[in-house]
Amino acid sequence: MKIDRRCFLSLGIGAAAGITLSPLPWKITDDLSIWTQNWPWTPVPPDGKTINKKSACQLCPGGCGIAVRRIDKRVVKIEGLKGHPVNDGGLCTLGLSAAQLLYSPFRIQAPVKKVNGKWRKISWDDALATITTKMTELREEGKAHTVAGIIGGERGTVSMLWQRLFKAYGSPNLMRNTSMEDAYSLVLQKTQGNRVLPGFDFENADFVLSFGSGLIDGWGSPVRMFRALGDMKNRQAKFVQVEPRLSNTAAKADQWLPIIPGTEALLALGLIHVILSESLYQVRFVEQHCEGFDNFKKMVLETYPPEQVAKATGIKVETIKELGREFARAKNPLAVCGRGQGLTPGSFQETAAVHVLNALTGNLGEKGGVLAMPAGPEYEEWPEVEPDDVAAEALQQKRLDGAGGDEFPDAGDLPTRLAQVINTGKGDGIQLLFISGANPVYTLPDTKAVQKALAAIPFKVSFATHMDESAEMADLILPNHCFLERYEDVPVAAGLTSPIVNLAVPVVKPMYNTKHVGDSIIAIAQALGDEIADAFSWENYKTCLKETLGDEKWEKLTEEGYWVDEEFKPVPWKEGFKSAATKFIFPDPARLNHPPVSASGDAKQFPLTLIACDSMRLAGGAVGSPPFLIKITPDSVLLKEDLVVEINPATAADLGLKEGAQAVLATPKGSGRVRVHLDHGIRPGLVAMARGLGHGAHDKYLAGKGLNTNAFIGPVDDPDSGYDAAWGISASLAKA
Amino acid sequence: MDSALIPEGVKRCPLPQFTKGLAVVGAVLLWGVFAMLLCWLKGLNQTNMNDYYGFALWIWADLAVIALGGGAFFTGLLKYILGKDELKNIINFAVLIGFICYSSALLILAIDIGQPLRGWFIFWHANVHSMLTEVAFCLSCYFAVLTIEYLPLVLENRQLDKVPFFHNLTHNMHEIMPVFAATGAFLSCFHQGSLGGVAGVLYGRPFAYREGLLVWPWTFFLFTWSAAAYGPCFTIFLTKLMEKITTKKLVKDNVIELLAKISGWMIFTYIIAKIIDTGWWAFRTAPEMGFQWTDFYNNAFYGIWILIAEIVVGGIFPALILITPKGRSSSTGLWIAVILAIIGVSLNRWVMVLQVMAVPVLSFDQWVLYFPSWQEIATTILPVAYGVILTALSYRYLPIFPQEKELNPA
Amino acid sequence: MKQEQEKPKKFGMVIDLDKCTGCGACMVACMAENNVPFKENETNKLDSITWMRVYKLTNNKPFPMTEVCYLPRPCQHCEGLHTGHSPCVSVCPATATDYDMETGIVSQIYTRCFGCRYCMGACPYHARYFNWWDPVWPEGMEKMLSPNVSPRMRGVVEKCSFCFHRYQAAKDKAFYKETRAIAEDDYQTACTQACPAGAITFGDLDNKDHAVYKKKQDPNAFRLLERLGTNTKVYYLSRKEWVRKAGDNYLPGEGLQKPRRIHE
Repeated sequence: MKIDRRCFLSLGIGAAAGITLSPLPWKITDDLSIWTQNWPWTPVPPDGKTINKKSACQLCPGGCGIAVRRIDKRVVKIEGLKGHPVNDGGLCTLGLSAAQLLYSPFRIQAPVKKVNGKWRKISWDDALATITTKMTELREEGKAHTVAGIIGGERGTVSMLWQRLFKAYGSPNLMRNTSMEDAYSLVLQKTQGNRVLPGFDFENADFVLSFGSGLIDGWGSPVRMFRALGDMKNRQAKFVQVEPRLSNTAAKADQWLPIIPGTEALLALGLIHVILSESLYQVRFVEQHCEGFDNFKKMVLETYPPEQVAKATGIKVETIKELGREFARAKNPLAVCGRGQGLTPGSFQETAAVHVLNALTGNLGEKGGVLAMPAGPEYEEWPEVEPDDVAAEALQQKRLDGAGGDEFPDAGDLPTRLAQVINTGKGDGIQLLFISGANPVYTLPDTKAVQKALAAIPFKVSFATHMDESAEMADLILPNHCFLERYEDVPVAAGLTSPIVNLAVPVVKPMYNTKHVGDSIIAIAQALGDEIADAFSWENYKTCLKETLGDEKWEKLTEEGYWVDEEFKPVPWKEGFKSAATKFIFPDPARLNHPPVSASGDAKQFPLTLIACDSMRLAGGAVGSPPFLIKITPDSVLLKEDLVVEINPATAADLGLKEGAQAVLATPKGSGRVRVHLDHGIRPGLVAMARGLGHGAHDKYLAGKGLNTNAFIGPVDDPDSGYDAAWGISASLAKA
Repeated sequence: MDSALIPEGVKRCPLPQFTKGLAVVGAVLLWGVFAMLLCWLKGLNQTNMNDYYGFALWIWADLAVIALGGGAFFTGLLKYILGKDELKNIINFAVLIGFICYSSALLILAIDIGQPLRGWFIFWHANVHSMLTEVAFCLSCYFAVLTIEYLPLVLENRQLDKVPFFHNLTHNMHEIMPVFAATGAFLSCFHQGSLGGVAGVLYGRPFAYREGLLVWPWTFFLFTWSAAAYGPCFTIFLTKLMEKITTKKLVKDNVIELLAKISGWMIFTYIIAKIIDTGWWAFRTAPEMGFQWTDFYNNAFYGIWILIAEIVVGGIFPALILITPKGRSSSTGLWIAVILAIIGVSLNRWVMVLQVMAVPVLSFDQWVLYFPSWQEIATTILPVAYGVILTALSYRYLPIFPQEKELNPA
Repeated sequence: MKQEQEKPKKFGMVIDLDKCTGCGACMVACMAENNVPFKENETNKLDSITWMRVYKLTNNKPFPMTEVCYLPRPCQHCEGLHTGHSPCVSVCPATATDYDMETGIVSQIYTRCFGCRYCMGACPYHARYFNWWDPVWPEGMEKMLSPNVSPRMRGVVEKCSFCFHRYQAAKDKAFYKETRAIAEDDYQTACTQACPAGAITFGDLDNKDHAVYKKKQDPNAFRLLERLGTNTKVYYLSRKEWVRKAGDNYLPGEGLQKPRRIHE
């Protein structure tokens, strides 16, 4: 049959009609739509048995209990633990996103050693042997004191094990991260006689005066503070925030006093002046329970009249007087300090002045006042370490950071001074550095100097869980389990009013070839042998933990997740103090009567002032923000990869900068490109920069975004204590 | 070479020249197809749309081409139902333009939806209360009608007409064309209206929201009316453009003038209705929702000028030119009028899509500006290129303009 | 099994803006609960999926009179002026979003949505989000996806569901326990539970025993854009007048007022 055009055409049309009328196209259309509903690249989460596990968050010192929802062996969600004394079901942004840290692609999955700049996996035996060999060699050479450590956890068994290891081995150079708690402890020691921690009874205060503390920006125990402040709204308690910037805390305050930054101590002294000159203080307290009042009073009345204070602080005389009266007349007034989240200790002058303010109104140890708190619930005592001769001799060496030395006899730890000491070549060079639970390369001020100092240390060992900035600089990493994979006690202080300890438990089995840092310490100690090994007779960390907590606590902790010391009762001032004279000792007037710590830098070259600000939407410490946090970071803080700094529109007009404009921010410590955001909620002349960005390491969600405040702000040693008292730095901002 | 396919008695350019022209437009078409494939394969992240601009350039293009393609139904209505017989000389072209416009609209919609493979859910899981459902049904049906109207024209090709079956089919279809024209007009009234309703029912968007009659907001009627009014202007514009390009007279002046006159009066009446509607909305509807009408125009970009451009420049001006005999009979006057009219109706559709999205409703929200990505622009130009090609082919091989032979004797 | 016909419920929220600190815990809790994806760069807030979004409001006064207030915005689950006539439900052409008469919750059926985005245009609260991108979790992190909420595919619209899966779970629980009613505690949204400041209260707005019932009658309670007639189920509380006024649009000279019902 010859196929002509007509035939072809009709065949074609016929076929088309036939196919259309058949079920085929309909079936295909339907199948295609079903396929779009099950795209193989869109994950389908497998179902399974749901289990809720109680544990403890360890991402900040806040001490929240967590409930971990597990489906089969997967951690699906982390929520606040209902009924927990700290957070009762609530949880902060970081805690809520903690599962993203567990499943982060940036976990360190096995012990690794740096060979020619590249990481190579090694066995645990090799990793531990490398360390013990090095430590044994150093001890033999009489250089035990050149082994140093920077650790994050301030309390708890892991921290205790580190201290024990350093004592038994013979090095004084173990440094803990410092915070406002250190400044507070020192003030409590000087005034009340024992080095304890402060507790703040917000729950019963009816007037809260905060000197720049970010009470709802992560200060203290964040969730507890949220709850306490929410409760204050219900009780109609008044809350005054003294801060140069309208932070979230200032926004929630009943009154915002935008002070000139760095002059908070002066305002506190000015308020004391009002109270003293108008005799508004608690007379019985001053007359019966104090020492040094007259000298102190004289100094304040002479040096800090409200008129003078008003000039320095930028706060009106009338406001100061009214505030002083209102504070003193309140039934349960409470003044607190520690800037932002309290990550920087702050000056002795400021902390002491604020504490005296509390003392004068008679609220020490009282309802709604400041309490002297133990560092945590009591543990079963460990046998005393008996350092051998080598160790005993090495422990006589002065600490590198100068803490407890001639210059700063009062300080416990001064890690912020370490870089300066190493870079100026003072003291014997550190040969071996342990970094555990800390990320000094990111968190210590003056990043450049810290990097330089660390680069000068020949061997650095990290116990990180994630490949952070400090781990990247290390030579050997002995990865710790992620906190959701390990046992650990979490004693909580953070300004709470009763001693609490939480227990973190492994909610999932360790995913990788990691080891509990406690087990690593025990293994190192046992391998070092002799007296050192004798001091670590535990089989492993878990038995150590169990023994230390004791059966009763262990049982309660594994069941409930937390243990509260019900017996604890604060000691009211009427019952005296722990000082030798059992009295409150007013601080030496000389230590308060001097200009406050100023921002470093030449005012001509750097006419502005840079301040760092903390928020709950970014993790500003050793832990890098997980993707959820980066997602909720506002575009007024991070725009694409650029850090956005906040300035007052008036400042912007002076500088010729418009909203979103690119600019170069420079300080004596560093410079970088930023964008500007104009906001009326900040004092003119200031530049505010969010803490928590500018990570060099971590995953692609975080790395390379924004800039690190620590690269711009250097440490300033407080002349009285040596603690870092920097609150900002001189800066310039120019159109890019 | 292809002379056997060209209608009898008319002159066409040589095939190589025609092919070259097609190739240039074809390249633009391919660029558009490439962008379309990107959107289908990679998703709508290829566009600059976002959660504030869920509707943007494409939906505007859809509304605009459908309004401009309104010439087809309205001319059909005038010729077949209202008996304006002169219009038979332009109806073919009007149908062609309508066909192009509506097929383009459907294509753009198919790119615009996030799940094109599920697009048919609009029919299968139809929500009869949604204006968009009404649009989808009427649009598809009317497109079918346009296809039926366009088909006889295709079959009138010299070679196809030789097939007796096609010849007879064409003849019979011509006979029943009034039925389709009536159906088309009915469907068009509804889908043009429901396109207006799409914005008008948005009671969460005070800029778009209009009160109305029963379930239909006033924009429903305004859209139908404006499509009928402005569509013929587009038909006239393209006819004039064809004449410029081919350097031939294709349609007699009396035909054009008749259409222009009707269009002029339609625009005139429409713009009065539009002014009344705007006034009612500005001084009654919006204030009840807490807005001053100026709030809607206080953005730095074009402000109040867009309203003036739409109503005065794109409405009153062309209406006045077209209703005056002198205006519409002068070549310049006609050109200016139809171009202003096209701009006017396009602006109206722009405002009813883009500005609806841009105006913040929450007091603490912000104006957001939008600029389309190249993929959006390319896919919007794609139907233009396709339209040019289909028009060129139709003009070359089909007797689109019945008066061409008479006006251009060999 | 007792299965009496239950009275329809009207779930809603009361958010105390004086307590909200803007910390963002509600946003994170929501994302973790509902498998909301995240991209490498989320600084373009115009295509960032946040079912719960915290807005920052200011009184626009210069330093130092500036005041700031944070406003969490979940889907408002509008009822409209006749039941179920919410702005989005009424326009969806494919019935992919629905007003549940039993709970008053506006649902979204992801597998039916074909991505026309008409509902987004209809919603004045920007509570609806389009999946412009394929959701991608970094390797390993898909482990934390919850099986109770299906991850969405590219090209569809999603939004806050008042954690509807939790309602279903609560209903199952009530069914097994043979109790008729769902206890207030048994059905709480993820954001409500996570809020560290206790600013969010959730429950049945029509149930006198639920906390929201009383709170919504506070003289300082207001809803967003009441004048439009969206008739939402999220109430806000603030002692500050400028905050209450920011909740709606007012003509110059108009004071805070209860809205006239405009299109009945």
